[in-house]
Amino acid sequence: MSEITRKGWVVPVLLLVLVFAVAPFTLAQFGKGYFFQVANLVLIFSLLAVSLHLVTGVAGLLHLGHAAFYGIGAYVAALMGTDLKLGFLWGLPAAGLVAALFALVVALPTMRLVSIYFAVATLAIGQMINTVLLNWVAVTKGPNGVMLFSGIKLFGFAVKGPLAVYFVVAVVVVASIWVLHRLSHSYYGNALRSLREDDQCADAMGIDTVRLKIEVFTLSAFFAGLAGALWAYTTGYVSPGDFNFSNSILILAMVVVGGLGSLPGAIVGAVLLILLPEVLRGLGDLRNVMVGLVMFVSILFLPKGLFGEVSALAFVRRNLGVKWGAAPSEREVGWR
Amino acid sequence: MFDPYYLQQLAIGLSQGVIYALMAIGFTLIFGVLNVVNFAHGEVYTVGAFAGLLLITAFAPPFLVVLFVVLAVGAALGFGLERIAFKPFRRFSDEASLKSRAMRESTLMSSLAVSIVAREGLEIAFGSQMQTLPFEYLINKPIAIGPVTIVTGDVIIFVVAALMLGGLQYLLTKTRVGLSIRAVSANPLGAKYVGIDTDRTIVTTFAIGSMMGAGAGILVGLYYGAIFPAMGFVPGIKAFVAMVMGGLSSIPGAVICALLLGLSEGLATTFISSNWADMVAYGFLIVTLIFFPQGLFGAGRERV
Repeated sequence: MSEITRKGWVVPVLLLVLVFAVAPFTLAQFGKGYFFQVANLVLIFSLLAVSLHLVTGVAGLLHLGHAAFYGIGAYVAALMGTDLKLGFLWGLPAAGLVAALFALVVALPTMRLVSIYFAVATLAIGQMINTVLLNWVAVTKGPNGVMLFSGIKLFGFAVKGPLAVYFVVAVVVVASIWVLHRLSHSYYGNALRSLREDDQCADAMGIDTVRLKIEVFTLSAFFAGLAGALWAYTTGYVSPGDFNFSNSILILAMVVVGGLGSLPGAIVGAVLLILLPEVLRGLGDLRNVMVGLVMFVSILFLPKGLFGEVSALAFVRRNLGVKWGAAPSEREVGWR
Repeated sequence: MFDPYYLQQLAIGLSQGVIYALMAIGFTLIFGVLNVVNFAHGEVYTVGAFAGLLLITAFAPPFLVVLFVVLAVGAALGFGLERIAFKPFRRFSDEASLKSRAMRESTLMSSLAVSIVAREGLEIAFGSQMQTLPFEYLINKPIAIGPVTIVTGDVIIFVVAALMLGGLQYLLTKTRVGLSIRAVSANPLGAKYVGIDTDRTIVTTFAIGSMMGAGAGILVGLYYGAIFPAMGFVPGIKAFVAMVMGGLSSIPGAVICALLLGLSEGLATTFISSNWADMVAYGFLIVTLIFFPQGLFGAGRERV
């Protein structure tokens, strides 16, 4: 492990090759839309998991309403596409910005809360947004959902075919994840970690914890909104059921399975929890039980997740080129 | 001056509130002790209802027998739940791990995972559609009180909730078990130092709380005449809201807030629309958290 990651560029390049060359080539061999749909789903949920990772993993705030901001993004993109006839290039940033704006408005009063109160407040916010999506029939079409027929158009060119759509999704997701990666593996990310380890102590050391919480909540909602726009454009249909509490929990489960505080872990969790049900589709209804079991087993036996924070911290140190004492693995930080 | 229609709506809201209260009692009992939100409480409620359904369809025993068997099933569920989802995370009993947020949140998520498994398992076993109950077991025969009509179920649920509340207050304030529960609630480590078997106390609390949850499940199932695997989710959230409004650890506070919640939802249904009634609960929750972070009844009280 350390031999490979010491050369900092090898893993990212391998991942890029996987996402942009190996995966599309393999999928094109199968030539089925279904496989591309699954691949898009994996990418979208990777982005969701990584954006939640910033709030829950790095800043340590248990966020139980992430799917609602994802839903706002999806609805904004879909409604702009159908009602306003504004295409993907407008819909994508607008989805992120509107989701972030909503997050900012709800964050201003609620981010002073801590621990379980915070979790409950985010749960309530998520449920409120979902209720609005479900019942504001005049705008959101209520439980029928919104159909989005116009595909992705970039600068006048229509992006047709599953392969091209896959590339658009991949570019947006990879760019967003890169931004989130830089953010969580920076000094800003370390300020967020201090929030997670001991927010009173962070406060005493001059970190404006409330402002930091509001910022990180808004940022994560922005990327959730982007993921929502991608979802709206890849499936062509959004309905409130896709953004309910159990989806928030699914995203949370991805972050937990991968290891709280670890960005690669969040991606691995997303890949696992999306692919596992698809692979196990043959087992029929058992798949949701399997998701629950995987989550339980990983909490019980891998409390640090597949890639715990300790290895992630070592990663940061290497990337920032900061020598923080000798053996990092000796000094466990945070999550046991 | 007062239209009987509104009185009727008030009565409906109140009966809804009593149902939430029934659920909130067990929820708050578990929260008050372990300082952990038990996400699987909604599933205990559902499993209790299904146990009652199986019993009724298999043996058709009298109502009280059903109730007591379901209570026993609930106690067993609470025991199992605690052993599976909570005990493994109490491996370390030093002060740091007892106070560690990571520990608390891992039990939150483990109970969540158990609840997913339970709900999906029930869906595989029974299908996600509603199970109907035999007509003679339903507790919805109408009773007219002046201009207002209520059903037998309202009375039964009210009586059961009152009994639970009274019994629990007696248990917590007058018995040794209650004393040890309160001791663990106040300070787990201190309770251990003075010789209380914290492990047994916690499992007892789970058994009692889940007993109440399962009893609530079958009563509400019989009240509405419908039992389905996802039935525990919405009452679970409402109980959660009532608990937070009541100050997280005060059982009478949670009951009063559950009644308040039911009433407000009834009013919202009457004057706005039933679709938006859920917003009331979430709105209450946010307002409570921002303006009354101690809960309406939480400040300066003992954790009972």
